[in-house]
Amino acid sequence: MIKNEKEIKGNDFNITRSAEELRKLSFNDHVCIGCGICESTCPVEAISLDAIANIERNYTGTYFSGHEKITQNNVLETNKAGNKTKLTINEDKCVLCGMCSGLCPASALTLTIDNEPIKNIDAYPSYIAYAECNDDECIYCGKCEIACPRDAITVKRNLPERAKLVTGEITPDKDTCIYCGVCEEMCPADAIDVTKAIGEEDIVIDTDKCVYCLVCKKACPVEAITAVCRLCPYGEYDLDEADAEITGTTIISEDDCISCGWCEGVCPTDAMTVKKPFEGTLVTDPEKCGTCGACVDLCPCNALSFPKTKGPGERSVQIVSNDDYCIKCGACARICPNDAIEVSRTGVNHTPTNSESWTDALEALKN
Amino acid sequence: MVNNMPKHISSGLKYIAAVELKSKGLSHKEIADELDLDRSTVSHYLNGRNLTWDSIDVANTIVNMCPKDFLSMMQVLFKDIDKIRTMTLILKSEEYKTIVSKSCIGCGLCVDLCVMKAIKLDSLKAKIEADLCCGCLICEEECPTRSIRILEVNK
Amino acid sequence: MELKVNQDNCLGCGVCVVACPINASISPEVAGGHGSKTEETIMMVENGFIKLFSPEKCDECGTCQMFCPVDAIWLE
Repeated sequence: MIKNEKEIKGNDFNITRSAEELRKLSFNDHVCIGCGICESTCPVEAISLDAIANIERNYTGTYFSGHEKITQNNVLETNKAGNKTKLTINEDKCVLCGMCSGLCPASALTLTIDNEPIKNIDAYPSYIAYAECNDDECIYCGKCEIACPRDAITVKRNLPERAKLVTGEITPDKDTCIYCGVCEEMCPADAIDVTKAIGEEDIVIDTDKCVYCLVCKKACPVEAITAVCRLCPYGEYDLDEADAEITGTTIISEDDCISCGWCEGVCPTDAMTVKKPFEGTLVTDPEKCGTCGACVDLCPCNALSFPKTKGPGERSVQIVSNDDYCIKCGACARICPNDAIEVSRTGVNHTPTNSESWTDALEALKN
Repeated sequence: MVNNMPKHISSGLKYIAAVELKSKGLSHKEIADELDLDRSTVSHYLNGRNLTWDSIDVANTIVNMCPKDFLSMMQVLFKDIDKIRTMTLILKSEEYKTIVSKSCIGCGLCVDLCVMKAIKLDSLKAKIEADLCCGCLICEEECPTRSIRILEVNK
Repeated sequence: MELKVNQDNCLGCGVCVVACPINASISPEVAGGHGSKTEETIMMVENGFIKLFSPEKCDECGTCQMFCPVDAIWLE
C-alpha cells in the first residue's frame, strides 16, 4: 500500500509519497502568515491551523505606533523559541494533491513533483502576484529593504570612490618643503602623512582620501604644495559622469515576498511594481474592536495599526487598516476574537487551469 | 509443502495463460516469450503433461475470483510487477468503462495505487486507459474526492 | 530622520552634492561635478559652504554622510 512519510525538522516538516512520481509537501513555519486559506481549501480536511502561535507573541507598545519592523521580527523569533508549529497536517489523510501549496499566498507550503515546484508546472494554477524592481529607476537607497515586513528585499549598493568623485591635482615640492607638518594637521581628510624624523623627512599625499579642498595649500608656510581642484568652477576639467554613478542590485526573495506593496509605497523613484494576489476590501468595526492588538501582531503586511495616542496611558480606541498594503489574506479576520474585521475578496488573480476542481477552489476564495 | 504450493499454483496460472494465448493463435515461441518460459515447458503445458489437474483447478478458482482478490493473489504468487501485469491482462478478459468526474483534484493517488499502471494525470485530472483496467476498484475506493467510477461492460 | 549640516565644519568641497543620488536624478550634471543648472537640488555649495535648498526631497539614504570628509552633513 502507498503510504506517506512525514519528516519533521524543527518547526518545518516534509510529507513525501514516492511511487510513480516523487511528491513532496514541505512547510516553512517562518513564512506562514496564518491566513487559514489552506485549512479551508484542503479537499480531505487534513490541515488544521493552530490558534496561531501568536498567542505566545510579545505585546509591546511599539506595535501600536504603526509600522515597526523590529518588533515584527521579535514575534517570529518568539515563535521559533516557542517551538510550536502554526500548522498541523495529518499525514494519514493528506493525499498530496498540492491544493494548499497552490493556494498559499505566502509560499509557506510547497508541493514538489519530482523535485519541481508546482508553481513551475503549467498545469497547476498559481497566483499572479509579484514585486518587481526596475533597475533603470532604482537608486539603491534601501528604503524598501527597511520597509519590507517580510525581510524579502536585499539591496546592495556600490558607491563610487571618493577620488573619482572629486578629482584634482596635488603635488608637494619636496625641495621646498620644510616638513613642518602644518598641512598634516590641517588636512580634514587625513590624506597627508609627514615624516619629521631627521634624515628621513618625507611627505606623502594619499589622493584616494584627498578631497582637494586646498586647505594644505593655504596653510603651507613655504608654498611647497601645488594643488588644483577640478570641481572648482574656474577649472577646465571634465569629469566622467559615469564615475559618479551609484550602482547596485536589488534582490527580492520570491519565497519571502507576499507582494504587500510596502516597497512600492516607499520607493522614491517609482522603481517598484507590485501586483497583489487578491482584490477586495477590509472593513473594521470600531464598535466591536476590543483593541487587543492580535490582528496588528499577526498582519503579515503591517497594514493594520492603532492610531497614535496623545499621551502615555491613553488607549487607542479603534483599529485602522491601510488598504494600500493589505493583501486581503484574511489572517486578521480569522484571529479577531470579536469579529471586528471583515475581509471580502472580490477577485483572485491567477493563471488559468483546465481543472474544474482547482478553478472551483480558487473561485471559492471569493466571498 | 506449504512453500511449494504457490509454485504449483503459479504454474497452473501460467498453464491457463498459455492455453488462452494459444487459442488466440500465438505460436509456441511467442507464448514462451510473453510468459517468460522455456519453449519446452510451453510444449509440455500445451500437450497436457507435467501438471496435476488439482493445481489447474486451484488456478481456475483464482482466475474466477473478483478482480481485487485476484490481484492480491497474483501479488503473493508473482513478485515481479511486470509479470503480474502481463498475466492479469491475459487471464482477466472483462471490459470496463471508466468515468472520472470533474471533482478530480489531480492528487495522483490513483496513479500510484494502480497496479496495472492504467492511470495517468492529464492537466490535473486522472485519465484512465480502460484497456489496461482490470476492474480491481482500488482507485475508486481510495479516491479522496470519490471522483472515479469503474463500470463493467456487459458483453 | 532629518538632514543636518554644520557650516562651521564644512570645507565646501561639494562631495555631498555630487554623491547624492537624488541630486543626480534632479539635475544629472551635478553627478559629473559641473554644478547644478537649477536650484531644485537638495543641497549646493554656496559661497564656499554647503547650503540646503530643499531638504524635504531628501530620501535619507545617507550617501552624503558617508562621503563627507569632515562630518559636516549628517542624518539625525
